[in-house]
Amino acid sequence: MLKESKTSFRRGGTGWKRNGFILAFLAPTLAAFAIFYLYPIVTVIFTSFCKWDYTNINSPEFWGFKELWNNYQYIFKTYPYFWEALRNSSLWALLGIVVQIPAATVVALAFSRKIKGVKLIRNIYIIPNMISTAAMGMIFLQLYSPLYGIVNPVIRVFNRDFKENILLLKGPAFWAMTCAYIFFTGTTTLLILGNIMAVPEDVREAAVLDGADGLRQDWYITLPMIKGTLKTVSILAATSGFLLYNEVYFLTKGAAGTYSISYVIRELAITSPRTQFGRANTVAVVQILAGMVIIILVNGLYSISFKKKKGEGR
Amino acid sequence: MKKRWLSVLLTLVLGASLLSGCGNSGSAPAGENSQRTEEASEPAESGEAAESTEKTGGGEVLEFYHGYYHDESEWPAAKVMRDIYDDFAAAHADGPVTFKPIPVENRGEIVSAQVAGGNFPDVVDVDGTVPQAAISQGLVMDLKPYIDENGLQDAVGLNYTQNQVDGHIYTVHDQIESRGMWYNTAVLESAGVKAEDIKSWDDFGAAMDKVNGLGDGSYGYIAGQGSLFMMNAMLAQTEAGQALIAGELTQETIESAEFEEAFKAAATFDQNNGSDHTTDNIGNLMDDFNKKGTVGALFNGVWNASGIDATLEDAIQPSLFPGNTAIASAGGGISISSGMDEAKTELALEFLAYMVSPEVQERIFIGVQAAPCNAGVDLQALAESEGSENPILIKLADACSQIKGAENVVINVNYTWGGDVGNSIINAFMECAVSGADIDARFEQLKQELTALIA
Repeated sequence: MLKESKTSFRRGGTGWKRNGFILAFLAPTLAAFAIFYLYPIVTVIFTSFCKWDYTNINSPEFWGFKELWNNYQYIFKTYPYFWEALRNSSLWALLGIVVQIPAATVVALAFSRKIKGVKLIRNIYIIPNMISTAAMGMIFLQLYSPLYGIVNPVIRVFNRDFKENILLLKGPAFWAMTCAYIFFTGTTTLLILGNIMAVPEDVREAAVLDGADGLRQDWYITLPMIKGTLKTVSILAATSGFLLYNEVYFLTKGAAGTYSISYVIRELAITSPRTQFGRANTVAVVQILAGMVIIILVNGLYSISFKKKKGEGR
Repeated sequence: MKKRWLSVLLTLVLGASLLSGCGNSGSAPAGENSQRTEEASEPAESGEAAESTEKTGGGEVLEFYHGYYHDESEWPAAKVMRDIYDDFAAAHADGPVTFKPIPVENRGEIVSAQVAGGNFPDVVDVDGTVPQAAISQGLVMDLKPYIDENGLQDAVGLNYTQNQVDGHIYTVHDQIESRGMWYNTAVLESAGVKAEDIKSWDDFGAAMDKVNGLGDGSYGYIAGQGSLFMMNAMLAQTEAGQALIAGELTQETIESAEFEEAFKAAATFDQNNGSDHTTDNIGNLMDDFNKKGTVGALFNGVWNASGIDATLEDAIQPSLFPGNTAIASAGGGISISSGMDEAKTELALEFLAYMVSPEVQERIFIGVQAAPCNAGVDLQALAESEGSENPILIKLADACSQIKGAENVVINVNYTWGGDVGNSIINAFMECAVSGADIDARFEQLKQELTALIA
C-alpha cells in the first residue's frame, strides 16, 4: 500500500515537472496570443457595446443592457453606407475565390511546364506585386481618367459619344475598382506553383502510365494534391478582397456605390469629426465575424468539391 | 491533467484580457474632464508635467510636429517653412529648453493616436481641425489668454474670431486658407466671355457653357471637390446661408431651402460641365489649368499663384467668387499641449508669437507664397518692394487683397460641418456630373445620408 502511494507520488511529481516544462514553453506564445490577438479582439467586441466618441475618448462607457445594441442599431439601420459596404466587400471576397484563385492556378500550372524562357516570364509576372496597392490605385486612376486614360478611348470604339468618367457610373465603377486589384495574383501564383513543383515526379510518371497526361493530369492528379494550398490561398484572397481599402481611397472615396467595410471604419473613426470609435468597432466586429464565416465557407466549399472529385475519380 | 492545466491557464488569460479591456471603460471620476478643461489654460502642475517632460542630454526638448517634410525640389515652400522653424530652434539652442521641429507626413494620424491615448504632442501644426476629443479632454491649451495679454489679436488675424470655441482659442494657423476663383482669360475670351462680366452665378454658368462648347479640348472648370467650394460660396450670398455655414450641420440645415438651392444649382453646373472633368481631388487635374491652359476657371486658394506656368502668367488672373464672395478659413494650425511644465509652455508660446510676428509672416508671404494670418502686414507694398518683376507675388498679393476686401467672407464648410459630411457632398456632386443623372433624387439620397451622419 505504502509502496503504491510512493509510486503514485513519484508519478505525480514527474507529471508536475512535465506540465511545468510544457507551460514554460507555451507561456511566451500564450502571452503573445493574449496581448496581440485576444486583447484587441476582446476590446473591439466590448467597446462595440460602448458609447465611445470624442466626448469620452479615454473612457468608453458601457451602454448598459437596456441600450446594449445602440451602436448595432445605428450601423444596421441608420448609417447610410454600411449595407452598401458589406455587399461590396462580400462581393470582392467572393470574386477573390472565383476569379483570382482560378486565374492564379491556371498561370501557376502554365509556369510549371518546362518551357524555354518560363523562368524569365515568372519573374516578370511577379513585378506588379512589388508595387504597393496605393501606387497601383494611382496608376489605375490615370488609366481610368476620361481625359487621358486608355480605357475611355477603348469604350469609344463601341460607343463614339462616350465621355463619362467610369469611376462615377454606378455599376461600372465597382467593376473598374475590381479590375484594379483582382488580376494581381503574383504571390498567390507563386504559392500554388511551389506546391505544384512539390508533387512527386513518380506520381506524375504513374499518372502518365495510366493515360493521364497534360490537362487530365492537372485535373485528376495535381489539383487534388495541392488542395490544401488552394484552400489556404482562397482564404487569403477572400479576406484580402473583404478588407479592400486602398483602391477605394485612391479611386473613388466611396462615390458611385463603392464603399467598403474597411473604408467605412476609417470614415467613422478618423474622418468623422465626432471620432466615433464605438461605432467603428461595431463595424469591426462585423468584419471579424465575416472573416470567420469566410474561413468556414471556404473550408466547406473545398471539402465538398474535392469529395465530389474523389467520387468522380472512382 | 495536462488539458486541465491548459484550460485553467487559458481561462486566466481570457479573464485578464477581459479585465484589462474593461479597465479603460470604468467611468472617470465625475468632473475629471471638466476639471482638465478648466486647467487647460494653465501650465500643468509639476507632478503631471514631469510625466510629459522629455529629457535629452540634461536639457528639456520641446517637440514640434509639422507637415513640411517635402524635399526642396518637390515643394520649395516646405524648405522655407523648415528654415523658419530651424531659425527659432537655433535661437534657443543654448536655452534650458531646446526646440525640435519634426517634419512628418502623417501629423493628423499622430495627433489622433495620441489623443486616443489621452496625450497631445508638445506643439503641433494641426492638419485640419483640432480634434474635439482633445478639447473635451482638456489636452490642448487655450491660447486666448496669451493672445489677449500680449496684444496679438491683429497678429493672429482671422484666427481670433474664427477659431474661438466657447471663448477659447485652441489653435492659431500662421497662414489663412483663402479661396476664390482663378480665371484663364485667354480661354474665356476665346469663348467670347470677359472675366469681369461674370458677376453672378448665372453669368458664371453661362460662361462655362460657352467654354464647354468650344470643342477644342477646353472645358469650364474642375468639378467634384471644387463643387463643394462652389456650393459653399453660393450659400454665402444670403444671410440665412451664411448662418448655415457658420455652425455645425443640423437637421434644419439639411432641410433648408438655401442648402437645397445651392446644391442643385452647383450640381446642374457640374452636369453641364461633364463627369470627365470631375474629381474628388482638384490636384488630379490642376495641371490642366496651371500648365496646359485648357480650363476656364479654377476654384482654388491664393497659393495657386505659385503654380502658374510662366507661359500662362498673363492669361491667369485671380478673382472672387460671383457675388463678391470669398472663402477664408483660419483652420488648424499651431496647437500646444496643456500638459507641459512652465519652461516648455513658455517656449511654446514664444514660438507662437514668433510665427505670427511681422518678420516671419513676411517670409511666409514671399517664400511660401501663402496668405499670412497677420492682418497688419501690407501685402501689396511688400509685393512691390520685392520687385514688380515677380509676377507670382503680384498675383498673390492681388488675390489676398481681393479676398480681404470681399463683401461676403465665409468659412470652408469642411471645418464646420466635418470631413465626413464634406466627402458625402462631394460624392453626390460627382455622381450628379454624369449626364442624365437625376439631381433631385440624388439630393434626396444625400439628405438621408447627412441625416444619418449627424445622428
